[in-house]
Amino acid sequence: MNTAKRIAFVCPRFAEGGTVGGAETLLRNLATQAAKAGQQVTFLTTCATSHVSWTNTLPPGRKSFDGVDVHFFPVDQDRNEGAFLHAQQSICSQRKATLDDEAEWVDNGVHSSELYAHLDTHREDYDRIIMGPYLFGLVYKASTIIPEKTVLVPCLHDESFAYLDCTRNLFERVRTIMFNAQPERALAERLFNVPREKSHVVGMGLDPVNIKALTDSPMLPPQYIIYCGRRETMKGTPLLTDYLTVFRQRTGRDIRIVFTGSGSIEAPDILRSAITDLGFVSEAHKHAAMAGAVAFCHPSVNESLGIVILESWLCGTPVLVHAISDVLRDHCARSGGGLWFRNYPEFEESLTLMLDRKDLNQAMGEAGRKYVQEEYSWERVTQKMFHALDA
Amino acid sequence: MSDAIFQIGADGIDTEAIVAEIRATVAQKTKEGVYADSRIGRAERFNLMNFKNEEDFLPFYLDCLKDAVFVDINDFEIYERRARLARPLVVLKKYIWKILKFYTYRLWSQQNQVNGLLLTAVENIETRYRSKISALEKRVAELEQNATGNSGS
Repeated sequence: MNTAKRIAFVCPRFAEGGTVGGAETLLRNLATQAAKAGQQVTFLTTCATSHVSWTNTLPPGRKSFDGVDVHFFPVDQDRNEGAFLHAQQSICSQRKATLDDEAEWVDNGVHSSELYAHLDTHREDYDRIIMGPYLFGLVYKASTIIPEKTVLVPCLHDESFAYLDCTRNLFERVRTIMFNAQPERALAERLFNVPREKSHVVGMGLDPVNIKALTDSPMLPPQYIIYCGRRETMKGTPLLTDYLTVFRQRTGRDIRIVFTGSGSIEAPDILRSAITDLGFVSEAHKHAAMAGAVAFCHPSVNESLGIVILESWLCGTPVLVHAISDVLRDHCARSGGGLWFRNYPEFEESLTLMLDRKDLNQAMGEAGRKYVQEEYSWERVTQKMFHALDA
Repeated sequence: MSDAIFQIGADGIDTEAIVAEIRATVAQKTKEGVYADSRIGRAERFNLMNFKNEEDFLPFYLDCLKDAVFVDINDFEIYERRARLARPLVVLKKYIWKILKFYTYRLWSQQNQVNGLLLTAVENIETRYRSKISALEKRVAELEQNATGNSGS
């Protein structure tokens, strides 16, 4: 039984066009599915598309997307960006920042007085207000307006910001927390003693991939591993290119790497000829590239869900992830769909095994696919979301 | 690695067991020196930050450092890929290397000495403090056990 019929979503940005982000996409998809299920869904967001400048680039007002009524509110332009960056630097450089640093960071983050006023005025119009991710001043402030109806989708990582008092207050204040994966929930329990009854693992659903229909493939090398997403140090891509360079040198195997996504690829010159950079491609082409890979390699250590590895499994491709990421490792262990490494020697042994044992590799891909179909179908995720909203 | 661990069972695949087997293999090969390779040490530069909160960060870091600490200043094979004028180009390159080596060898060998000494010092400090901390932990555990025993009696 769904008692929460009128649901508002709050996110600093709306995932549309060039505005792409894991948390934004997650919230938009949850909103769309809730609307499809017949709920009355409103999405409250800002006119900003850049999470760095927070400039109001979209016109304020209302627009409908896939049955979701989206309200765009202007970002307050009085934020002190210098103070924000200074506070952020202090927080990142030490595990325990001062309360002044925290206040500076929250106060000078992104805010929208008009969005807060809307929530306050329409407090009786919504049964639940789902908001996230936890990292933004807007979510922190919005959660104080109607905390008894607020459901947080934190996308929590083990990082400096998770250790702030204001983050603890946020987790304590809200009615319910919806996590993406079990290890994320475990981290919140460890950091904030979140009681079990107010926390739920929901995640994001994925639509099935029809690999047979993927015939229009881009030019791909004969044998390759793949990485899809942003290429940056925090995502571990320089580590991946360094490892693959050494792997090729030490084993003499001509295994290449395919990238999709954005950002420049930091790689040793010697690896350049073994890199295929497809850039931004359609979902169908991305899935075709995933399906043809020996493995999807995800060296990031800070993931709260890892959508791309779930996609890779839907394409029948096993994954190789960094062991430090509890979330990715947990997916692999529970599904049987991939291996994990802590250092280069483990990477070399794992990749060699994946190359040599095609039967095992194929079986891992199948196990991963089964896991995603069972745990991350939209039907299952929507069911879990409504259960969390009713709790 | 034993093949038994990689069997695909009716219940699926036990990837935890596979990873455990891989780690055992790596441990064995590391002992045999298979991974004593300066290229690996350099490749770990981006991995080090991932271990900053881990208990085994320093030993891992030192292992990497050991593989990367010495700058290779020895002679190497000089060749030329372009077939035309290959011989005179190789002679020219050898001559340039000879001059460079004359001026830089002393500098780099001193740098290698410094690197080696620093690494040894850090290793000694790490070993000494690790054993001290281990002894203190043992002592605290004993005292706690004694205190529990006394309060119980």
